Amino acid sequence: MVEPKSQKLLGTLILNLAVALGGIIMAWPILWMISASFKRLNEIYTFPPTIIPRNFTLGNYQRLFTDWPFGRWYINSLAVAVLVTLAVLFFTSLAGFGFAKYRFRGRQPLFMVMLSSTMIPFELILIPLFILMSRLGWTNSYQSLIIPFMAPALGIFLMRQYISTLPSELMEAARIDGATEFSIYWRVMLPLMRPVLAAQAILTFLGSWNSYLWPLTVMRNRDSMTLPVGMVSMMGSITAGSEPPVGASMAAATLITIPVIIVFLFVQRYYISGLTAAGVKE
Amino acid sequence: MASQNARALSVKTPRGRLRQDRYAPYFFISPFFILFTIFFLLPSLFAIGISFYKWKALGVPEFFGTRNFERLLKGDPIFWQAVKNTLFYAGSSLFIVAPLALLEALALNSKRLKFRTFWRAIYFAPIVTSTAAIAIVFRMLYNREFGFLNEFIMALGGMPVDWLGNRGIVKFSVMGVVLWRWTGLLAIYFLAGLQSIPDELYEAAAIDGATQRQRFFHITLPSLRPVMLFVAVIVSIGSIQIFDDPQILTQGGPANASLSVVQYLYTRGISDLLYGYASAVGVFLFVVIFILSMVQLRLFRGGDR
Repeated sequence: MVEPKSQKLLGTLILNLAVALGGIIMAWPILWMISASFKRLNEIYTFPPTIIPRNFTLGNYQRLFTDWPFGRWYINSLAVAVLVTLAVLFFTSLAGFGFAKYRFRGRQPLFMVMLSSTMIPFELILIPLFILMSRLGWTNSYQSLIIPFMAPALGIFLMRQYISTLPSELMEAARIDGATEFSIYWRVMLPLMRPVLAAQAILTFLGSWNSYLWPLTVMRNRDSMTLPVGMVSMMGSITAGSEPPVGASMAAATLITIPVIIVFLFVQRYYISGLTAAGVKE
Repeated sequence: MASQNARALSVKTPRGRLRQDRYAPYFFISPFFILFTIFFLLPSLFAIGISFYKWKALGVPEFFGTRNFERLLKGDPIFWQAVKNTLFYAGSSLFIVAPLALLEALALNSKRLKFRTFWRAIYFAPIVTSTAAIAIVFRMLYNREFGFLNEFIMALGGMPVDWLGNRGIVKFSVMGVVLWRWTGLLAIYFLAGLQSIPDELYEAAAIDGATQRQRFFHITLPSLRPVMLFVAVIVSIGSIQIFDDPQILTQGGPANASLSVVQYLYTRGISDLLYGYASAVGVFLFVVIFILSMVQLRLFRGGDR
């Protein structure tokens, strides 16, 4: 039975309207944020809101760098995210290669141990890890945000899944040519892994860039904060009578989210393939 | 690998090469096991250990038996408040956010939707935003006196709502952020599931004269079952660990009305420095998540066969 034409048309219309309405709701907080970041306080709170600011100002952005160490926070976040991403790419691809392309004693149990490690919720170790970081003197420094997270189990799993699909014949050929096992990984395998490395890089970078709980726990000095921690601390600094930094925090929020959204629009494909591949475990 | 070894031998590689061949994989996987042991396994055991101790900040740990747990489970109304709030977050994520994500995926997958790529970008963009930044934006939108939301309601002739200050409403306000931030992510999983359904199934059904509704209930929904299970598990594990959104929106207030379990753990452990007690909360979370993970394994193993 084919639907009557008019009914089909009506359905299409409703579908398009509903998606558009939902889309406006989804886009609204972002639009509002960007627009508010270029306004003075009184205009931020006018209703109906102006999308294009009537009195365009860059004052909020300037305040970020004069009243808070925003540049420092940006460098901290960027440095940590880049370093942790590079380390994760190296260690997960190496371990994924080990698990995918070698048969060795204890492989299966070790793999199971690795997988089951994902069942430990981070909150269980929050306190001991915090104590450990204090004892090591790593609080307020980058390594506390990088070193413990350099070899995530899910990342290794993702890599192993991908590497298993690559042909082993190339390894054989390289081995006959006298290549070491590490150079087989480095010269033969890594170049073939571009898509999965891209997916892994995006997931790791985003995770680090947006993470809040752990940086909040270990980065206590104003100068060592990452962006999310720093920008939340801006809101906490409202003293009675002073003007709340509404415009400045919208400028901060814009600088945190917009570059990431723009990059995402270009690399969406890798991101989605990474998510869905990591999602479906065997 | 057996054949690999045979071939390696047949070309007479030097002895050193063979040894390296045998140990190489252990070197390759060792960074994970070293980091895991130092930063995850030992701390986990340590957490379980100190949950049986009374230990405040710089003081000396004092063996406390199971008293941390007794107090937590029997004499701590704030903890139970946090559990209830967290169950609210988990329940509404499961029964409101996830179904909405399915609807979203169906809409964004429909061939009858114009500008599909554009709308997908709009709906998926929130996934990559910083929760901290977004929670602060929502704090402005929720502002009781000047916030956009109340201005909008008043313009329509309604009464302003105390989004973040009313005990009964604040949890819904937190869920508003969760909904905005997470629906797209779940929709991506559903979308992947929808796209993996072979077109032939629909074509065959169409030839047999199935209506659109029949096709949806007899092909689409059953094919999505594994994805639904997967989403249900990640949603429940994820929302039990909710922290950022209520922390930044309300710090758990007013009067703990939006406090989550992880926020409670953080407050007890990092702010009050009650290491032993906070670890007992951690162990509680671990047990709950462990059970959920087991259910997950069961469901997926069972689902495949």
